[in-house]
Amino acid sequence: MAFTKKPLAALAATALAATLAACGGGSGDDDNGGGSSSGKAEKGGDAIFFVGPRTVEHWDPQRMYIGRDLNNSGRLFYRSLVALPASNDPVEGTTPVPDLATDTGTTEDAGKTWTFTVRDDVKWEDGQPITCEDFKYGASRNFATDVIIGGPANYLFTYLDIPTGDDDLPAYKGPYSKKGQELYDQAVTCEGQTITYRFKKAWPDFPLSIAQLRYLDPYRADLDKGDANNFEIISNGPYKLDGDWKEGTGGKFVRNENWDESTDPIRKAYPDTWDFREGDTDEAIYEQLLADSGDAQYAVTERRLPPALFSRKDEAGDRYTQVESPYVDYVLPNFNSPVFKDANCREALKLATDRAGWIKAGGGDQYFKATDSVINPSVPGYQPNPAFADIPAAGDPDAAAAALEKCSAPKPVKIKFTYSGGTPTSDNQASALKAAWDKAGFETELDPLEDTYYAVIQKPDADFDVTWGGWGADWASAGTVIPPLFDSRINLTGDSNGNDYGNYKGGPEVDQLIDDAYAEPDLDAAADKWAAVDAKLGEDVAYIPLEITIFNFVHGGKVTGYANNVSVNGYADLAVLGVEK
Amino acid sequence: MSTTSPSTASTAATRPGPLLSVRELQVHFPTQDGLVKAVDGLTFDLEAGKTLGIVGESGSGKSVSSMAIMGLHRGTNAQVSGEIELAGVNLLDISADEMRRKRGRDVSMIFQDPLSAMHPYYTVGNQIAEAYRVHHSVSRKIAKQRAVEMLDRVGIPTPEKRVNDYPHQFSGGMRQRAMIAMGLINDPGLLIADEPTTALDVTVQAQILDLLQDLQREFNSAVIIITHDLGVVAEMADDVLVMYAGRAVEHGPCKEILTHPEMPYTWGLLSSVPDLSGDTGARLVPIPGNPPSLLNPPSGCAFHPRCPHRDKVPGDLCRTELPLLVPGERGGHHTKRCHLPNPDAIYATEVLPEIAPDLAVERAKEL
Amino acid sequence: MLAYVIRRVFAGVIMLIVMSIVTFALFFASPIDQESFICGKNCSAAQKKETAAAMGYDDSFINQWSDFAKGVVAGRDFPDDPKLRETAPQTIVRCEAPCLGYSRERGDTVTNLIKDTFPVSFSLAVAAFVLWMAGGILFGVLAALKKGMLIDRGVVGLSLIGFAFPTFFVGLLLYKFVAIQWGLTEIPRYTSIAEGGIGGWLSGLTLPAITLCLFFMAAYVRMTRSYVIESFQEDYVRTARAKGLPERTVTFKHALRAALTPIVTMAGLDFAGLMGGAIITESVFNYPGMGKLAVLASTDFDLPTTVGLVILLAGFVIAANIVVDLLYAVIDPRVRLG
Repeated sequence: MAFTKKPLAALAATALAATLAACGGGSGDDDNGGGSSSGKAEKGGDAIFFVGPRTVEHWDPQRMYIGRDLNNSGRLFYRSLVALPASNDPVEGTTPVPDLATDTGTTEDAGKTWTFTVRDDVKWEDGQPITCEDFKYGASRNFATDVIIGGPANYLFTYLDIPTGDDDLPAYKGPYSKKGQELYDQAVTCEGQTITYRFKKAWPDFPLSIAQLRYLDPYRADLDKGDANNFEIISNGPYKLDGDWKEGTGGKFVRNENWDESTDPIRKAYPDTWDFREGDTDEAIYEQLLADSGDAQYAVTERRLPPALFSRKDEAGDRYTQVESPYVDYVLPNFNSPVFKDANCREALKLATDRAGWIKAGGGDQYFKATDSVINPSVPGYQPNPAFADIPAAGDPDAAAAALEKCSAPKPVKIKFTYSGGTPTSDNQASALKAAWDKAGFETELDPLEDTYYAVIQKPDADFDVTWGGWGADWASAGTVIPPLFDSRINLTGDSNGNDYGNYKGGPEVDQLIDDAYAEPDLDAAADKWAAVDAKLGEDVAYIPLEITIFNFVHGGKVTGYANNVSVNGYADLAVLGVEK
Repeated sequence: MSTTSPSTASTAATRPGPLLSVRELQVHFPTQDGLVKAVDGLTFDLEAGKTLGIVGESGSGKSVSSMAIMGLHRGTNAQVSGEIELAGVNLLDISADEMRRKRGRDVSMIFQDPLSAMHPYYTVGNQIAEAYRVHHSVSRKIAKQRAVEMLDRVGIPTPEKRVNDYPHQFSGGMRQRAMIAMGLINDPGLLIADEPTTALDVTVQAQILDLLQDLQREFNSAVIIITHDLGVVAEMADDVLVMYAGRAVEHGPCKEILTHPEMPYTWGLLSSVPDLSGDTGARLVPIPGNPPSLLNPPSGCAFHPRCPHRDKVPGDLCRTELPLLVPGERGGHHTKRCHLPNPDAIYATEVLPEIAPDLAVERAKEL
Repeated sequence: MLAYVIRRVFAGVIMLIVMSIVTFALFFASPIDQESFICGKNCSAAQKKETAAAMGYDDSFINQWSDFAKGVVAGRDFPDDPKLRETAPQTIVRCEAPCLGYSRERGDTVTNLIKDTFPVSFSLAVAAFVLWMAGGILFGVLAALKKGMLIDRGVVGLSLIGFAFPTFFVGLLLYKFVAIQWGLTEIPRYTSIAEGGIGGWLSGLTLPAITLCLFFMAAYVRMTRSYVIESFQEDYVRTARAKGLPERTVTFKHALRAALTPIVTMAGLDFAGLMGGAIITESVFNYPGMGKLAVLASTDFDLPTTVGLVILLAGFVIAANIVVDLLYAVIDPRVRLG
């Protein structure tokens, strides 16, 4: 399933089937975090990006949804109305700046209508000017659900002012079938170079979604071949593809002569070429990077140092960097289970949960950092969740045992923990949780699942009592965390729980809190409202947070200006990176 | 240019003796368990144009000694000693390459199972021609022509067609004819036929033996025919050599051996031949027991554990002392290796009545 | 002979059809809905349904299979939507017969994917094949001729070691030391002859081919050795010697000819299997061949690519079987086809 993430070990062992959308932020408070290497970047040289075994699935901007590809394309060849500056400052790095637009967008009705003006001095790689119509056409492609598959289209489905048909999908079917075209032409309009988006409800952080995803990128109607354009790159950034993209092998990017540096405040475009290499194993990539030999001296990667090679990280010296990922792992009780219907039982589970043991079994604090909310600390709106902040990392067995006394279930309280297993590490982690729960008076049965994990736990009648989940925000907003995971109205349908695996139903109170937070036009005030929803979730023990995954990277010795910026989710920021000649 | 050694050259010059002269031939195989004495002191002569039948059970050393004559133990771990003189040349003295050049030209051999003895992937003609070309520098075409002639000579119908057939397309008898053609194509002085008819149908056996005899006359070859079948010997051989446990136990003219055998082992062999003379009252009497281990042969006479007549020998002689190969009661060229004092009488009175009552009656009249 | 070939080809085609049905059926039995893989994160139930319809996965398994079969015979359009043909013909991909399908995940026809990956697997298989046949037969014959001697024990021992080490281990070891640490070769990378000439092609192939050949070579050394030893026991070898043939002729014309026949025919099957079977080597050395494509396709639940590859590779094996049987009949006159 391409929803969320697996535990670290599972990530390393499987083919990374679950790294969609790593949008969110890295962290600036770690020692190595955002580490930038010495040496000032200069123009010239040939840089390499090791894509690794998980190959690029789409280069079509409307279909991209993987953080790595969103970041890299936005830094090298795709521009949109707004973008994030190359910064590791948690605020600056997540605040959009104008890119192809003249400003960051204006709204006069608190986010229900947004207007941008496209610069008139920007061009496509073939020299054609970028027009307002290109933006309008690009956005329209999201609606062609039979062709443009895989992208984050449903944000537009939810917000754009287009009526919904019987099938819960918009009546507009995209530019290919042109069904309902008049509806779209009313919702999105162009006047000269000024584009206006009209929404059903307020969307205050709309510009941020443009900056962190690529679904609103402009697209050329005259070059659109639908699905066949999956790996076509029509560049408007500093680089263009030289020849074809070869899936499994990669492609080479060279300078785009029709990109004008003076129009672009973000992309420094230091290297002359970028060679994207696909398909190497993590071991092969890291053997080269650790040895810092040959081409690898000019290389960066988004792949993480494999656990087997972790002991050799000192070989890399300051070429080794470590950042907090935008992911949070958590466990959650099943509100349909006879045991955890009872809030007292959930309370006992919460107090008994041993985050420290889980982290230790997973490899220790080089891999994970204990956390106290499902909202990643890099996302505005994060506040330590009061329900979890004061519990020791190893849990509070005595308090848990006391709480369990009040639990109505017959003792010992038998529970079943279903988790994404199949590797020794994930089994050890699960055992660590079991040990602490059992100590408090539970009797835990471990139920490891492999590939079909999400398909099983999404079933409304799944019989687990506790399960595991992992999530990363789509962009730096708690609105891309809490509703997707806990809003029962969008998750719970007849045949699936969506991402609300625990059947949590907040009821009218929580629903109202969520709606208010969504509607709040002031982003700071909205962050506070999201924090309030999170606090309520903690009170109900809708989930129990475990940790934030830590990313470990090594880059080549001849790379200059290396930075793991928050603006690219903690990955290497290709906008400002250079190589020695 | 002569490359023969002085000794062989001198013997060849001074003595116009037999074509083949084998003296004290020993073939020993060292194994992990000890030394296997497959042939232990074998001596015989064979004149050109004559036939020697070597008879014995499997493991008696008859095939091993013929392989020694062919020089086929070279390159293995066998220890061969003694003397094998062919046309005055001691085959054990010459180099491997000289021996190779004699093989197939001066001495050739045909084998028991002509199907496995021929290469399945090459045509019969190819294999016969190859035998010719290795000793004659002629073109393929001429060699093939020669193969056709030989196939014709051994009685293969439409040889110019069959020459292109593969061995599996021939019948068993035809394959053996082809083998004979291969063996005689270089007109060797000596042909060794190792159980040439054993694998064939009874009806075909006689044809092959007739063919061999015809060809022997025509080519004037000496023939050693190795068999366990005294019937074959009776038909073919001038001389007979009976082998047991690596040694000759009886040796003499064919008629002598068949009519007046003096060694109980030979009697046993005779007893186990069906229908030697068409005598309906004859009994088949198998030799009791098994052939001895060559690794650890019995003491004294190797046959004594199986010999029903050993109590007729005074003392414990059979068990303790190896009898010498000496002329028997009837003297001449008939030698035997046995302690029995009056074997001919025992044969006539005790053995013959059992296996061939008619003959016994005749013999009794003679006596 | 011709009748035999026709009969075998016919049986092969039937087998391929059955295999394609089984492959489709297996995917239908899978508990995972393939559309979720493609639809992406936050994909609503309604979207998923649309995706399934667009991919054709909502159709019955028999209909999907017969569409596939139709494509093989007559070619197909993707998407096969008459309305779209009017409004946006540029978005329709024509897949000419024999069309093995169209991969939405990869945005290309399976035929094109195979065209891209086939030369890679073929190059690797050929290079490994040459190495292992040459090495396997050479060392196998050497060991057989020197049976029981030091050189025989050495060769047999080494081949046992070669056999015991897993391919990925050998591959990583070679990669790490030969290419990275010692820099004796370039980092192995597939270069087509068109791009890098024979030299570039070969230098990219060296390490992967060695890795791939080691396992086979070990097996072939031991197999050759035992066949040759067995062959020297044959009566016809004794006959050859008795004819007075030089030992060289005895060894090569008579003994080896018979011993190598089963080896050559078995090698044909191994070669065919390698076309899609060099998964580990292709992964370790990042060779974008059919083995790697097969792994990617199966982890993404890319049904069209998986089915296309399964059928193609099965076709290779079936074809190799027929060729080997014919070859056997040519080599060994005793074999009759019928």
